[in-house]
Amino acid sequence: MSYAIETRDLVYRASKHFTLRNLNLKVPTGSIYGFLGANGAGKTTTIRVALGLLRPHSGLVRVLDGTMPGDAPRLLARVGYVPEQPHLDPTFTVGEMLRFQAAFYKTWENARAAELLLQFRLDEHHTIGRLSKGQKAKLLILLALAQRGELLVLDEPTDGLDPVVRRDILAALVEYVSQHQATILISSHLVHELERICDWVGIVDDGRLIAEMPMARLKDGTKRLRVRGAPAAVAETPFTLLARRANGTGETWVVRDWSPDMTSYFPSIGALLDDVIDLDLEDGFVELLRTSRDPAAA
Amino acid sequence: MFRAILYSQWKWSRLIVALGTIAGFALPIVSLQGAARGDRSPLDAEQLLRAVQGWGTLYPLLATALGLLVAVASWAPDHRGRHVHALTLPLPRWRYVLLRFGAGSTMLATPIIAVCAGALLATVAATLPPGLQGYPFALTLRFALAVLVAYALFFAVSAGTARTAGFILSAIALLVAVQIIARVANPDWDLAGHVQVVLVNWPGPLAVFTGRWMLIDV
Repeated sequence: MSYAIETRDLVYRASKHFTLRNLNLKVPTGSIYGFLGANGAGKTTTIRVALGLLRPHSGLVRVLDGTMPGDAPRLLARVGYVPEQPHLDPTFTVGEMLRFQAAFYKTWENARAAELLLQFRLDEHHTIGRLSKGQKAKLLILLALAQRGELLVLDEPTDGLDPVVRRDILAALVEYVSQHQATILISSHLVHELERICDWVGIVDDGRLIAEMPMARLKDGTKRLRVRGAPAAVAETPFTLLARRANGTGETWVVRDWSPDMTSYFPSIGALLDDVIDLDLEDGFVELLRTSRDPAAA
Repeated sequence: MFRAILYSQWKWSRLIVALGTIAGFALPIVSLQGAARGDRSPLDAEQLLRAVQGWGTLYPLLATALGLLVAVASWAPDHRGRHVHALTLPLPRWRYVLLRFGAGSTMLATPIIAVCAGALLATVAATLPPGLQGYPFALTLRFALAVLVAYALFFAVSAGTARTAGFILSAIALLVAVQIIARVANPDWDLAGHVQVVLVNWPGPLAVFTGRWMLIDV
């Protein structure tokens, strides 16, 4: 499998209190990769290091076919980036900003930019400073899409937007991927939003990557089990036991990598499996975070 | 690419450049106002030279102000956006800086041309006393150098981060502290004076700002 972004043992110290620690991120080429994490978990810092905006203290960052930050100018020509905070000059009009960007990207598509202007209902005579939050977000997406990058890196692009704008943006992204076979890394803490569009997911917490897997595996393989009569200490399990909590007469286990044939495991340890409950991505995400923060619970 | 950067520079510094152009055009004309008026007898040479010298102090001030303001305008929007936009453009950082510097320098050409035009017009229109002659091109060249030196200096400072500004302020504070301590130890030792001589006297980098700025001279 080839990767559009790959980090190996990446270390970056942002401050005394926050460090990216040995981050090994692998974003498969052609995927829509949801980069999940709580606020302050390290999503934006990881993205900035990956794009060469910050220099890592150690480790390797590969993006497309080059390394960052050494090959940044060449690679950034093929990467569309939407930062968390709008960064464009507020005195520019939308049209001026389009022309400015077009001058820097050989792959820029004026026709596509015009299409997206109509689709997003943006007026090219409006100054950026006077656009609403939703319009600014749309403009940033438009700029990233019109440059026809092979890789789009979107840092919380829909944070704080209303559902209509969010839907417009996500629809445009999905359409772009289907047309161009591009890779998208989209960071968010809005789990439900990513559940709809992502096929891979990575979860970061306190500067560490705590899980990375196909979305289907996380959604289908993460379950809450109601168990009775399990011994206090269990040996090797065929699944990954994330958490184990007492619950009335029995216990609740939260497991990963579950498959239905694993029910036979419980009689083998003298326990009884009462129920298998599906978790949605948000529940799975929360359980993974809990386990990461309190490993003793597992 | 340069056109795009130049356009952004024009947006950010057009007011400064417009005001600088008006001032640059008006200054030589105003400085020779007395000599240019036909209804009066021409000022005698000494009066004229004194008047021109008086007005001449405004050229380095104008050059410094233009250099400072255009340099600040070159970087202010980037600072506001924490340089994210510039850093994610697909070109090496040194090239972006060079393009920005070039765009600012190009914008400064307008007030320089205005000084040249004003100086030419003023010297052509003036009735000069015998023995004096106009130096519009020399004055323009000097003004251009002063503007570019000021711009380069402030551009470099503005391009830096808060940490860079801190280093510069620390260096100045250190100089002042050393000067005070040195004065206590040896009252004849004048470090600030030495530094000033090195910077301002020829061939110091700021020598272009000092001396007499004469549109009319012997």
